[in-house]
Amino acid sequence: MLWSVQSVGIIILFAVSPLLWGTTQTVKARLQGRHGPPVWQMYRVIAKNWRKETTVPEFSSWIFRLAPSVSMAALLAVLIMIPSSGQAPKGLPHDLLTVLFLLALERFWIGLSGLDSAGTFGGLGASRTSTVGTGIEPALLAAFGVLWRLSGGSAIEPMTPLLKASPGGTLSWSLAVVSFAFLFLAELGRMPVDNPDTHLELTMIHEATILESNGRLLALSQMAMTLKLTVIMTLGWVILGPHLGSPWPGLALLLVELACTSMALGWIESRLTKLRYFQLPAYLSIAAGIGLLGFFLASGGFNL
Amino acid sequence: MVTWVLISAVVIAALLGIADKRWSNISVLVLGLVPLVFGGFGLMHHGTIVLIHGELYLSTLGAWFSLVLGVVATMSAWYRWGYPDHGRTASLWLPIFVLSMMAVILAGNVWVFMTAWESMTISSFFLVITDHRKAGVLQSGYIYLVMSQVSAMLILAGFMAMGSYVHSFDFSVWSTQGAALAQAPKNLVFALLGIGFGIKSGIVPFHIWLPRAHPAAPAPVSGLMSGVMIKLGIFGILQFLMIDLGRTDRFWPIVILAGGALSALLGVLYALMEHDLKRLLAYHSIENIGIILLGVGVMGIGIDWHRPALVSLGLAASLFHTLNHAIFKTQLFLAAGAVEKHTGTLDADQLGGLIRTMPGIAIGFLVGSMAISALPPFNGFVSEWLTFRGLLGIASHSAVLLALYGLGLAMALGLTGALASVCFVKAFGTIFLGEPRRRVSQNPIQASMTWPIAVLGILSLLLGILPQPLLNLISQVEPSSGLIHPAYGSLLLSAKTLTIAAILLAGTALFAVISRVWKMETVPRWSCGRVPNPSMQFTSASFTKAVRTTFAVIYRPHHNLQPLGKHAPDFADRLVYKGGTVPVWERHVYKPLYRWVWKVSRISTRIQAGPVRLYLAYLLGTVGLMIAIIH
Repeated sequence: MLWSVQSVGIIILFAVSPLLWGTTQTVKARLQGRHGPPVWQMYRVIAKNWRKETTVPEFSSWIFRLAPSVSMAALLAVLIMIPSSGQAPKGLPHDLLTVLFLLALERFWIGLSGLDSAGTFGGLGASRTSTVGTGIEPALLAAFGVLWRLSGGSAIEPMTPLLKASPGGTLSWSLAVVSFAFLFLAELGRMPVDNPDTHLELTMIHEATILESNGRLLALSQMAMTLKLTVIMTLGWVILGPHLGSPWPGLALLLVELACTSMALGWIESRLTKLRYFQLPAYLSIAAGIGLLGFFLASGGFNL
Repeated sequence: MVTWVLISAVVIAALLGIADKRWSNISVLVLGLVPLVFGGFGLMHHGTIVLIHGELYLSTLGAWFSLVLGVVATMSAWYRWGYPDHGRTASLWLPIFVLSMMAVILAGNVWVFMTAWESMTISSFFLVITDHRKAGVLQSGYIYLVMSQVSAMLILAGFMAMGSYVHSFDFSVWSTQGAALAQAPKNLVFALLGIGFGIKSGIVPFHIWLPRAHPAAPAPVSGLMSGVMIKLGIFGILQFLMIDLGRTDRFWPIVILAGGALSALLGVLYALMEHDLKRLLAYHSIENIGIILLGVGVMGIGIDWHRPALVSLGLAASLFHTLNHAIFKTQLFLAAGAVEKHTGTLDADQLGGLIRTMPGIAIGFLVGSMAISALPPFNGFVSEWLTFRGLLGIASHSAVLLALYGLGLAMALGLTGALASVCFVKAFGTIFLGEPRRRVSQNPIQASMTWPIAVLGILSLLLGILPQPLLNLISQVEPSSGLIHPAYGSLLLSAKTLTIAAILLAGTALFAVISRVWKMETVPRWSCGRVPNPSMQFTSASFTKAVRTTFAVIYRPHHNLQPLGKHAPDFADRLVYKGGTVPVWERHVYKPLYRWVWKVSRISTRIQAGPVRLYLAYLLGTVGLMIAIIH
């Protein structure tokens, strides 16, 4: 039963991720007073790119051709590992540390493909993506500090049932949520960290790495981009969100939550301005600091 | 009898090094295979094997390090077949170096240990200065020698202290009686041996010799030094301080953890600023020693706070990372050597696009980079995962401050891992990818240089996918002390490396096939309408600009833009840009220390003027003083 829920969950989440992306874009457009593209625009874009002829820049090697596939595989592995209904089937790895390593794997290959394109923008994107990643990784460890503390392990599991055992339960949970929200925006390259809609060399981070891609490679990169949005949102909701005991309602709830989050993301994006790139370390340290504070509270920090 | 035959065979093999390079390689190969077999046998044997009573014995911990030595030595010997020669020096000293490292592992008492340790230092010193005609090599060698001697003296002092407390210089007595010592003697021994072994491992305040000595040596020697020699410091810390001394002051594991985190972070931060590939790798050795020390510290916390789960996690993490680092670092150093022989330079800013001229080496370097960046499905991932679990185990301890410390260390390790992956994206990306930045020579390299790199790559993939058998062997290390957690096996299973590797490989293959990666046409790159040229690519300096700015406190970056020409400041003909970072440790710690040592030795020349009669008088005086004290 858990296995079937998990497999259905994987398929649904994989299928709806361009839709979630589109929802964010549409909401953003409406809030900015534009009509904007329909919510399924991303499916069309991916399909269009897939059908086009694919070219690769001179001096690039097999690294450039393989990188989108590796990053898709890494994200798919993360998707398979997250128990989307809140309960993991037996035998499936569901380890949070491994998720962090898999995200690092994705970033590593994106960085390599950027440098492999032998252009200016690729190197720029590679440098920025991996530098932002160095801030995200430790901050995520802090944001999930409460979870490590309460569960005593590194499994991906809902945190809410564990909170009853901790002295500063609700408060530390809310701090973890805030910290994760900060990092969620950073990891996905959304405002205020990166603006996914521009191609200005001063501002772009992720877009610069795929500037040389076209055709099927671009389609794969876009699929990876949308999948990453879904994966990180799912990760947040499964760990920090409400927990229903039974698997099928859990999955249904997750889908509602994802729809709401992608709409909320559109709202957040149209309210914020982009931070300067060199201010990002401060942003990420704030996120880490909030996570650490939550951890401190959950450990009973005030009764030392 | 058998033992004697073995030993004399080994000595003969070492002497063969004098003959010529081929014989020297064969003897290193034999000297590598012997520890490999020994190590495997020792780990299977469930206990200590006595070779010569009281002189040489193989403990299970020693067997593990012997395995590490075996892997690296055989691969280095194999690689050296095709590696252009460095004269007779390397041929002569390499077998002796390998032999003395083996002797350090096997030593059964203080005298054997110190003899082997010093012979290891001397032989490696001569190996470091193989290219002594190159500028700076001799200086690096001397810095290495001086630091090593300081380390050896501290270790000797620690051994003397320990020996006088236990009334024996036999290591087997130490392991039975060491734990029963009082707190104060333990503290003294811990401090002396900790710093002594720490210097040899290149822990951060004592690290300055490492990035000088390792790159100066020929590639197979760098591999042996980074892969095995500095690990023998870890061997000493584990054997004498963790296992023999047992419970110590709770202050010590915390110090070890702090040292580990500091080495890991600063090591990788300094590595990021390096353009020279071998120096970059040497700094990464400091980083990885830090990661190993974090595992050792977790073990220490487990011993002192009675947490068997942490002891087994920490031990497994540190030992497994020792082996893993030996594998991928050797692989990276050998690949760097191949790059040097192929192009004649190691400067990342001169290179580029080598993936087309040396594809095999490029794959080897890529695998090594992914393993050292702890990315699945390679072996670095497994051991860093174990280290993380150990640190998070500390973070779930009931004492709040200790827990916070544990999480802080985990974050430091997370930052280290992320920075390491930036560094290797930079190294692999600028050297092997893109367009060549300068015209460099392209000498063909022999296949016998590529094969060992490939074998090491396969090893690191295998250990990343199926770590369980080897991790089970680690549980044989010191099973007598009862420190190992009973649920040890299940503790390490939850990462499910096989499933993840399967998903990753299958997923990559699937997407690569459906996107038909082979059916793509090559077109010119986008360069905003200008004529593309190699200098528009990112260099290693520009790639790490943001890191340099973020960690400006540590780097103290400085740059200077000088306009040159007749009407210089306003209408310059030429602009000269110079930039760099401040070597903080050298400037603020070692320079003053160096000056102070000079001052002291100059003062001492007043009483050490040279006349023999003066020295005789000192001798007489000292003897008289001693007699006076004894009475």
